[in-house]
Parts: sequence; C-alpha cells; structure tokens
Amino acid sequence: MTLENYEYIRDLAAKQIRLSGRSPGQRRPIEIKNKVINHSDGSARVKIGKTDVIAGVKVLPGEPFKDRPNEGGLIVNFEASELASKYASDRITYSVEVGRVTDRGIRESNIIDLSNLIIEPAKKAGFVYIDIVAVNNDGNLMDAANIAAISALLDAKFKIENMEDYKEVPLDKTKLPISHTFVKIGDTIFFDPDADEENVADCRLTIAVGEKINSIQKGGSGFFTPEEVDFCADAAFKLREEVNEMLMKQIKS
Amino acid sequence: MYEERFDKRGFDELRPMEAETGIIPNAKGSARFRIGNTEAIAAVYGPEEVKPKHFEKVDKGIIMCKYDMLPFSVPDRAKPGMDRRDMEISDVITNALNRAIILEEFPRSMITIRVYVTQADAGTRCASLTAASMACADAGLPMRDLVAAVAAGKIGDSICLDLTKEEEDFHEGGATDVPIAFLPSKNEIVLLQLDGKVTKEELKKIVEMGKVGANKIYELEKSVLKGRFLNESKS
Repeated sequence: MTLENYEYIRDLAAKQIRLSGRSPGQRRPIEIKNKVINHSDGSARVKIGKTDVIAGVKVLPGEPFKDRPNEGGLIVNFEASELASKYASDRITYSVEVGRVTDRGIRESNIIDLSNLIIEPAKKAGFVYIDIVAVNNDGNLMDAANIAAISALLDAKFKIENMEDYKEVPLDKTKLPISHTFVKIGDTIFFDPDADEENVADCRLTIAVGEKINSIQKGGSGFFTPEEVDFCADAAFKLREEVNEMLMKQIKS
Repeated sequence: MYEERFDKRGFDELRPMEAETGIIPNAKGSARFRIGNTEAIAAVYGPEEVKPKHFEKVDKGIIMCKYDMLPFSVPDRAKPGMDRRDMEISDVITNALNRAIILEEFPRSMITIRVYVTQADAGTRCASLTAASMACADAGLPMRDLVAAVAAGKIGDSICLDLTKEEEDFHEGGATDVPIAFLPSKNEIVLLQLDGKVTKEELKKIVEMGKVGANKIYELEKSVLKGRFLNESKS
C-alpha cells in the first residue's frame, strides 16, 4: 500500500487537526440522488465527499426459507472494484464486511416488514435484493453503503406475481438505522474518515442507530477502551438527525 | 420478559469451561477451548516465509487466520469450506490478534492460524478467538496480553452473559448479541460487534458485563498455560 503523508496525518491527528480542515466530529457534505437506474425497482446514488456509491433494489419472487415459512427475505450485497481506490494496487479487502454490516443494520432494526411480502405461505414470497457498488472510494464506504441502501429502499416501488398496482416496500420510516463510522488515530477519534485517514488509522468503529443501536462493528487492528465506545455511541445518536432529515425530505418530495 | 435462563444459570454466569493446550503435535502451538456446548480448536504455525509474497510487510510480521465451522458442528450441516460469514469472522479475529501479538518482532514473516469450530452452540467466534490466543501463547509468540472473548447480550429486558443458541433465537423480546474481546490487563477492546436493539445505557452495561466474563476466562487461560509451562520446565 502506498501512503501519502502517513506521518503528517498522524502528527496532525494528535493535535485534533484534519488535513481537510474539518473538525473531528464534522462530516463531509452528503448528496443523495434517486431514480438513477431504470431497470431497478428503486435506486440511489450517494456521495459523501468524493466517496461515491450506487445502490439498486429489486424485489423478486422466491421460495421462503424453510425455518421462516411466513416471511419474505432480505439479501444485501456489496461490491467494490479495486479501480474505486486512489491507489490502483490498494485492494478493498473488506467488501464482504461492508455488505454484511449493512445487512445487519437493516435486518436488526426490523424496518422491513418481511411478513408483508408473503404471497403464498411456504411457497412464494417477495425477496428484497439490495445491491450496492462503490464507484469511487474516498473513505467511509460503510456509511455510504448504508445510506444508499436505505434511500434506495425508500425509493422502491415493485410489482411481482400478477399484482395489480405498484407497491412500496413495507417500511417503518420512523426508525431508519443510519450508520456512523469513526476512526481512531493515536488517541484521537475522527468521524466520517476519508481514505487517507482510514489508511493511517489504528482501527474503526461503525455504529448503526435507528430507534436504538442496531449494529456495531469494530474493524482494524487497534483497540478501543470502553469509554471510547461510549463516546462514539453518544456521538452517533447526536449525528443521526442530520441524515435522517435528508432521507425524510426524500420521502416528501 | 426473560426472568430465568433456559439452563437456570445466573445472568452473569458463564457456561462451564474447559481448556487445554498442545493438542496438535504437528503445530507450533495449539489449544482447545470449550464453553458449554461450543468448542473450538486452534493451531498456530510459523513464523515462516510470507506466501503469497505481496502480503509481506517490511516492518512487521503478518497473521493469516482462518476460521471454519466444520460440517458436523451444527444441527443441519455446514457446507465445507469458507462462506461469507466465515470470511468476516476470520477478519475480525485477525484484527484482534494483530493487537495481541507483538508483530514488530518478526518482520517479513507470516504466522498462520487455523481455527476449527467442532461444535457450535452460539459464541463460536469468541471461543475461537480465545482458543487462538491460547495457541499463540502455547507457541511461545511474544504477546501484549492474552485475548479473552465472550458474547454478552440482551434477552427481553435482561442483560445476559454467554448466550446459548436457544437464547439467541429467543424472538418475543428480541435478542441482542454482542461478541466482545478484551486484552484484560490493559482494558483494551480488540473485538466488538453487535446486532439487535439496545440503548446507549444498555450498551454500557453489556460492555461491563462482557468485561466481567472476559476476566473469568482470562483466569482460566492463565492457569492452563501456567500448568503447561511448569510441566515443560520439570521434564
């Protein structure tokens, strides 16, 4: 891995300063655009600074899982090509993790009423597929993937199996699980890291907050103290409102 | 509501544990850790030459760790080989061990760790990590501290330690599962995951309870390893 400014970014971090000039708890501007993919039932392109991801939702008929005969399903997939990185040799090794963490946040918050997707118990039900692709990686793919997935879900209207009308995905819009990612560099914690900050960071903590905390994932080789975990959870609850408002605006428009 | 646990344990009580080292003669170090009906075996090989070469680091060693659920470890049958879940768990275990092992002591080399879950009854990633850390100590690798990992969580309204599969699947109140790993003497969290629904305050309590459990596991790890190295010095 090639690293520009490794020591410089770490030295600045010790003084709570970021190369971008942002304050430690400040996020980059977020841009959400819906209906970007014709062939999907719902889609969203989300930019956080220079990070750029596209999510597409498709609802397709399938056979319910044997242990859940009265429910449809949710399948989240995340893909990042190495071309999305700043350094071509810098493979994104955590694609599987991003997909699974995004899946967990949405699943555990129970915002999708999967029982509402049943067409014929134990035989046929709607399956919600969310496919997310990173087009450009400038850090914080976790949050970008999560916001894109939720926005695409809100956007989705589907029609399967002789349904007369297009239908929305059955969603509880009051407790959207929004992801917040922090990195720790030395003893300093930054919110919404860019790619350089991620590269020099010791570790990462992603917290998805809906009504309550729905998922947490620690990444990277460093450590957090219990107090730092508390601090991040606190910050996540405070930061949630901003993105939630953006998504709510999308519903109204 | 969840007032009494299915197996009548206290809410902050661990299942009975068992641990031993040196179970795989061909490995540099190995260990078996059992907690209730969950059991993992771990083997450590190396340090040796890094393969493939491009993973090599000039300033420190690397860990290649694989976690695998054996086909017969679960009630139905786990497909042989690694799936997406196994890959993610391998990653989080590697992350934790990266902090525990002092990798700066062997640059340009690789340590290979294999963890097999022989029996699964929830908490497999924690049992695997505990077993792996004991195997590393058994191999004599330089470490900052042993890793002690346990799953804490919430069932109904009760904060619980060391959940079983039956408790994880407890649906009415919804169960929250929080695998957590400490370097106990340093109070460092090296693995933390959560899925479910908890408030900030509950999270704090869960982390505290995880620490209590981790300390108990830590004591067992130390006593087993002490026994092992005492025997060696006698023979």
